[in-house]
Amino acid sequence: MLGNLGRSLSKTMKKLAGMTIVDEEVVREVIKDIQRALIQSDVNIKLVFNLSKSIEERALNEEPPKGITPKEHIISIVYDEMVKLLGEKSHELVIDDKPYRILFLGLQGSGKTTTIGKLARYLRKKGFTVGVVCTDTWRPAALEQLKQYTEGQDVSIYGDPQNRDALDLAEKGLARFQKKDVIIFDTAGRHKEEKDLLREMEELSAIVEPHEAILVIDGTIGQQAREQALAFRKATDIGSIIVTKLDGSAKGGGALSAVAEIGAPIKFIGTGERIDDLEVFDPERFISRLLGM
Amino acid sequence: RITEKDVDDVLWDLEMALLESDVALEVAEKITTELKEELVGRKVKRSTEISEYTMEALKKAVKDVLSVDGVDLPQLVEKKKPLVIMFVGINGTGKTTTIAKVARYFMKKGLEPVIAAADTFRAGAIEQIGQHADKLGVKLISHRKGADPAAVAFDAVSHAKAQGKDVVLIDTAGRMQTNVNLMDEMAKIKRVVRPDLIVFVGDALTGNDAIEQAARFDEAVGIDAVILTKADADARGGAALSIGYMIKRPIIFMGIGQGYDDIMEFKPEWMVEQLFA
Ligand SMILES: Nc1nc2c(ncn2[C@@H]2O[C@H](COP(=O)(O)OP(=O)(O)OP(=O)(O)O)[C@@H](O)[C@H]2O)c(=O)[nH]1
Ligand SMILES: Nc1nc2c(ncn2[C@@H]2O[C@H](COP(=O)(O)OP(=O)(O)OP(=O)(O)O)[C@@H](O)[C@H]2O)c(=O)[nH]1
Ligand SMILES: [K+]
Ligand SMILES: [Mg+2]
Ligand SMILES: [Mg+2]
Repeated sequence: MLGNLGRSLSKTMKKLAGMTIVDEEVVREVIKDIQRALIQSDVNIKLVFNLSKSIEERALNEEPPKGITPKEHIISIVYDEMVKLLGEKSHELVIDDKPYRILFLGLQGSGKTTTIGKLARYLRKKGFTVGVVCTDTWRPAALEQLKQYTEGQDVSIYGDPQNRDALDLAEKGLARFQKKDVIIFDTAGRHKEEKDLLREMEELSAIVEPHEAILVIDGTIGQQAREQALAFRKATDIGSIIVTKLDGSAKGGGALSAVAEIGAPIKFIGTGERIDDLEVFDPERFISRLLGM
Repeated sequence: RITEKDVDDVLWDLEMALLESDVALEVAEKITTELKEELVGRKVKRSTEISEYTMEALKKAVKDVLSVDGVDLPQLVEKKKPLVIMFVGINGTGKTTTIAKVARYFMKKGLEPVIAAADTFRAGAIEQIGQHADKLGVKLISHRKGADPAAVAFDAVSHAKAQGKDVVLIDTAGRMQTNVNLMDEMAKIKRVVRPDLIVFVGDALTGNDAIEQAARFDEAVGIDAVILTKADADARGGAALSIGYMIKRPIIFMGIGQGYDDIMEFKPEWMVEQLFA
């Protein structure tokens, strides 16, 4: 069952391979396969239909440029439409102020704390000094997790398990790390039904005044990704996205749908539990994986 | 009589509803195909009844998938003491938190649990389950970070036997179903302690990956029961149907929050309501 989609998709792609002129029926078949691939990759259903409609229209109406086969043409249209969704905005993290304040947000267990450790190491390797503030007053041993994960990385951590006030922790951490190049704020996981926690997030955001709020999205999430991302954006201006757990078999279509909805670019992906398992986002690879190609 | 043409539109709408509720594509397709076979050729009085009829048939199909014989935990403890339960699943689904909730569940029934901190890998994992155990007043068996998880589990079972405890709850590290080494490590814990029950903990927000997760964990250790977490996050919870369809095991609880009492028995009706709300 695993990967049958990739296979079926490349099968239809093969049908296209020998074609010299565009055959409407084959195109429709390919579009259907693309639809299935996107749905299996957890792309929002409505988005799938919008997307496949524009791909079909272009594939049937646009003349392939000279020297380009119909197959290459369709593939380039698909890429084109998907890249449009992923946004024209930069996929790079640019540290252009000091201290550059980053606020991490996301659902419970999406991978915030782990990704903060990875990002801190990434930034240290680039020569930036980093302070991390733990404002998670919910999860047992949240601070301990951060400390252990960043051990030996020359990253400063601030937190206080006795202090139950996330806002106070944020203020104190902010004051403490003024001399650092980057301050990263870890927060407790929350979801769109937890109104108190969303309000807390709004208040945290007002204190931190982040240069960049990063939404961490679990690569295995399905159709809820869009709604949840919208709720986060309502409470805070989301600057970028990191998709985690892409070392499994999930394709991250939920994250794509969130991007399409809130317009913030994906900057990194998480590909494992180790501190180095963080990759700079590569749209082309992400799309290939999504389509099972 | 119902013809194929009669049901195509209705079934299409239903398939879309299933997909939007996060039922995996493969499962949604199988369910609607089976439904079609069942419906075509049936006699109905008026054509307007077709959609109603189809809906009822789907509700029944969904209930059938989810109504496999449940697991009566207290009754299992009566039969075997200590009852050894191992919790498995991918990263961050809520295993550790769920163990704390299940410990509380047993304590309320007057039974005494022991917890094994057999996630010796993730940063802060031992401290996390340790704080839960402290708050609940439950004995925790733990070794150092990086120790052999099977040895921790084994010690917890030995402790429970020696002290006459009722239940052993084994926390394991989250792992991707595609990671062969980690899946093997999990199978080793199973070989060493031979748990009476292996519970797969899945996140209600999971999309299509739910079927791969369930299939691979089932293949590696055999899943006896399922707990679906984070159902409070407004998930439609189609993952329940995907998992149920794939491995045909009962879903025993749903996690509905971060507190110790935020757990409830799973009712197939819940899923039906979510799907057709
Ligand atoms: N395989 C894999 N696991 C990951 C990845 N990123 C995070 N994880 C794991 O996912 C689990 C949850 O990660 P955390 O960092 O604790 O998530 P969180 O968002 O901080 O969780 P809360 O603070 O409870 O909301 C842990 O087991 C991590 O090791 C990834 O890219 N791949
Ligand atoms: N809203 C909500 N949050 C939950 C639920 N169950 C667990 N969580 C939260 O999800 C996050 C991850 O939970 P853990 O228990 O650490 O998950 P885990 O599966 O043990 O994670 P790893 O051991 O890292 O794989 C924590 O923030 C929990 O509080 C639930 O039913 N509802
Ligand atoms: K974002
Ligand atoms: Mg965290
Ligand atoms: Mg855990």
